[in-house]
Amino acid sequence: MRNRWWIVCVLVLSVASVAFGTDYAIVVNPANSVRAMSLVELAKIFRAKTTIWADGKGITLVLREPNSPATKFILEKVLGGTFDEEKAVLNDPSRKTAVPVVFAESDEEVMRIVGGNAGAIGVIDVYNITGGVKVVKIDDKQPFDPGYVLKGR
Amino acid sequence: MKTRNYLSSMVIAILLCGAALGAQEPAPAASATETVPVTTHSASAQNAYEMGMVQREDRLFVDEGLDFFRQAVKADSQFALAHAALGYFTTDPKEAKQESALAAKYIDNASPDEQVLIRWMNSTKNGETVVAISAMNDLLAKYPNDKRLGNLAGEWLCAYQGAYEHGEAVLTRLLKNDPRYYPATNNLAYCYALSGQPQLAPPLMEQYVAALPNEPNPQDSYGEIMRMLGDYPAALEHYQKALQINPHFNASQVGVASTYALMGDERKARAQYLVAIKGTKERSTQVNYRILYAMTYYRENKPRLAREEFEKVDSEAHSAGLTVQEAEIHRAMALFNPDAASALKDLDEAREDLSDTRKSNLLPGDRDNELALILQARAFIAVNAGKTEAAQATLKLLENMAQTSRSTPVQEAYHSANGAVLFAHGDYAGAIAELQEDPQNPLSLQLQAAAQTKAGQAAEARKTLETLAAISDERVESAFAAPPARLALKRDATRPAQGGAN
Repeated sequence: MRNRWWIVCVLVLSVASVAFGTDYAIVVNPANSVRAMSLVELAKIFRAKTTIWADGKGITLVLREPNSPATKFILEKVLGGTFDEEKAVLNDPSRKTAVPVVFAESDEEVMRIVGGNAGAIGVIDVYNITGGVKVVKIDDKQPFDPGYVLKGR
Repeated sequence: MKTRNYLSSMVIAILLCGAALGAQEPAPAASATETVPVTTHSASAQNAYEMGMVQREDRLFVDEGLDFFRQAVKADSQFALAHAALGYFTTDPKEAKQESALAAKYIDNASPDEQVLIRWMNSTKNGETVVAISAMNDLLAKYPNDKRLGNLAGEWLCAYQGAYEHGEAVLTRLLKNDPRYYPATNNLAYCYALSGQPQLAPPLMEQYVAALPNEPNPQDSYGEIMRMLGDYPAALEHYQKALQINPHFNASQVGVASTYALMGDERKARAQYLVAIKGTKERSTQVNYRILYAMTYYRENKPRLAREEFEKVDSEAHSAGLTVQEAEIHRAMALFNPDAASALKDLDEAREDLSDTRKSNLLPGDRDNELALILQARAFIAVNAGKTEAAQATLKLLENMAQTSRSTPVQEAYHSANGAVLFAHGDYAGAIAELQEDPQNPLSLQLQAAAQTKAGQAAEARKTLETLAAISDERVESAFAAPPARLALKRDATRPAQGGAN
């Protein structure tokens, strides 16, 4: 038995993952003072148009492997084009000195890198977040908020 | 403050409960530093808390577990973790709100890691999901061998978040470390059954019943899984085995009743529900069972008797201050009301129930979720009655809620109601897309099948009807929409094939 009302809840709530998949969270080091940014500002970081935080620290972008579903989804959402169009942004040799990109094999590795680098910003599945990173609101919304832009399908 | 851990209190608990689980070879115990601490100045509160966990989480004796948590907070009124656990597990929304608030008030009495656990429990109730996930993962990382913690987390992820992949990962890891931690086996089976992998659930249930042959819950769970899979005779067999093991295991009593109800034997269902109602002393649970009892009259197409029963139980829910149940009762009456104008009045009463002055006794999430279901039903009834303006006005209310609520049920209700309004305007493609955002709600599935038929998508409409027909749960919406779908499929199956070769 899982009490019967539990099952009803499940049947109602389970739709969340069936229909929407997971939400992706943008995370930074807890020492970073940034709490929110717009999707446009995030895109500027991805395109290495913004290279430093307000306190002068250099930005490092931490993502899952280039061909992972998470990175494909995020690139399309943040940069607005198709994955094939946008992936070149990450491979631009000039950005190595501007906003370096680090690819991690797991969300845990993303969090470890972000937790250990005051200038890092990463993307992870929201169900993997821990207190070792800080979730940044995008367009004034955090994961699970209605209209959150990084809601996966 | 005296701090103990689960291990010491587990020993006490096993002595107290006569080693109910101890008929089997005991699972390896965690070391003293492997579980989240439990802090209280009262030894009896400590013991009652542990017994609450044994009964509620390990043995699934729900009422008994809640009683122990209540004893714990009575013995130590400033026992923050016990307040949080009671708020987390209770089925009474009023109690949930009160206890969560007390947990927050006394949180400083708890150790740092207990505070994280309290934050997790309270955040799940307050809709602060990001905070809850972060707290849960921090605890899981710090206490990888705390089996009860892992089981709670797995259950929350699967049951309340629909995050099946994550829930399965937590529970699988737990069982890898200790294959004999059977509460996790139970939850993993449910997780599989609900995540579209039902074939993986029965083998786990076989393990569960074989491991704990003297416990009723394994047989009860097996029954429930089989009922979810639509195998009613097997479900009855397992529920009855559970009752042979423990005639007072009320969950199985209501399982038998609901299985008969789904099989169409409403007379037997009512007799069994009456036994279940007598078998629980939880007022909110009694009212929930009374609602199921009243539903049997609708199931056998006796609307007048159903209404009479619902009115009686409404009066009881009202006197007990069970506002959500009152609203649910009026929602049920509305769905089965053949007169649209009167049905809309039923729903107005349901909304009034929620806006009653006692609404302050409800957690906002509970109120919003029920209100969203009421508005969704209102939109559907209005559309079916051709009252498009009323449907549009209702949709506007839901839209306002959806713009500010993080609740998945609120979001789904909005999309579903929008689908109904689009259907009314003849935009079938738009309606299908919106209704698909609410894919397990029987009302949405019913209208989705109709929209697909109108759009010329006969094969898709049939698949939708099959999904709807396969729903075997106790929801009001299921009782309303699933039987006609089964009938339609049966009619199709007996219809002579059209055309074909000469």
